[in-house]
Amino acid sequence: MTQELSLEVNGIPARVEVDADEVLLDTLRDRLHLTGTKRGCDEGECGACTVIIGRTPVHSCIFPSLAAAGAQVRTVEGLAGGGGELSDLQRAFVDTAAVQCGFCTPGFLMTLTALLESEASPSDHEVDEAMAGNICRCTGYSAIRAAVRSVVGEGGA
Amino acid sequence: MQFLAPRTLDEALGMLSGRGGDLRVLAGGTDVMIQRMTGQLPRSESLLYIGGITDLAGVSRSDGTIRIGALTTHRDLCCDPVITTHLPSFAEAAATVGGWQTQAVGTIGGNLCNASPAADLAPPVLAAGAVMVVSGVDGPTRIPAERFFVDRRLTSLPEGQILLGIEVPEPPANTWESYLKVGRRGAMEVAQVGLAARFSVVDNRVETARLAVCSVAPAPLRLHRGEEALAGSTLDSGTVSAAARRATEEISPIDDQRASASYRRMMVGRLIMKAARLARRSLGMG
Repeated sequence: MTQELSLEVNGIPARVEVDADEVLLDTLRDRLHLTGTKRGCDEGECGACTVIIGRTPVHSCIFPSLAAAGAQVRTVEGLAGGGGELSDLQRAFVDTAAVQCGFCTPGFLMTLTALLESEASPSDHEVDEAMAGNICRCTGYSAIRAAVRSVVGEGGA
Repeated sequence: MQFLAPRTLDEALGMLSGRGGDLRVLAGGTDVMIQRMTGQLPRSESLLYIGGITDLAGVSRSDGTIRIGALTTHRDLCCDPVITTHLPSFAEAAATVGGWQTQAVGTIGGNLCNASPAADLAPPVLAAGAVMVVSGVDGPTRIPAERFFVDRRLTSLPEGQILLGIEVPEPPANTWESYLKVGRRGAMEVAQVGLAARFSVVDNRVETARLAVCSVAPAPLRLHRGEEALAGSTLDSGTVSAAARRATEEISPIDDQRASASYRRMMVGRLIMKAARLARRSLGMG
């Protein structure tokens, strides 16, 4: 049985019919065609599906779509500016080679965007803790940490 | 199946009493949604999403009691000043549940009601002597935490009722408590063994000792024999070693993909010794 869901995705109001127990990842990818958000483990472990709801990163693969009714959802597609210019963090990922295969990258970007919004200059330890719920099998994490460091600048904690 | 999203507790309890068994209470979804997808829960069940009942979230303290709403998230527990000051073992346990994404939506009520043998919040709740406040349409009743956890993923929460929150007596002065967890990595890990320990001390002697564990039996449990062995002691190493041996008689660990039964048995003893050492130092017992 489908039910109607109204929410805001990347600042744009959306109204879609979803299955009653559908998860947000499926709604985003299959109904709204926002395929930047990736399906990795499909059980809330790997973080590839991370999106931001309000100010909070969540695993969209296990988040019920209808629990997002009325919420403001942000996906990787919403990070770049209107003219397609990358966010500072996205640019830093490119410049520090924090991307190899790239499958985990949208999830890392969303988790770390949420971190930088809540803590302007996180310590390396805080960065590590924040990304504990995201798995990257290519970079060994240090390039990702360096990307955050380059955005925060030397003034960071 | 349907997704029901009541805005008030009365509305939710009315739906639950009318529907009974085919309605599954859902909060953060970090257990329930996975269990549906993996066939551990039937997908025919409708979902009663209580996340919109905001009265059920939050921590308060009055008249010697700390109240924690069922919808309080792990993330909230980690940084709530009442919790970090008076019930630090709760904050420590919540900080070990998954990563940020899980802690931000997962709730203490969900962790307790899902009643995994490895539920991280269960040992602190048991050690604190908490009371579970549950309610159906006829109003709230209270269940001592020790009677709440019955078996693997089974609680004594009556059908048609919702956990509203827990009530914890404020610990006496000179109390030390902590949650110690063994896992293969620091984050995103299901406990191989988790221990909540609490010692209340008067004149350098333990007046009350509380030990509670997860991941070493079908349900989280108190270790009464270990506690009795520590009561009245100065947490000297001889007494603590004896208590650790007695405590391991009370558990029934299994071999599984996370750890062997013998390793779990050994770790329960080691964690008790570690807790006693930390408590002695923290409470200035020499």
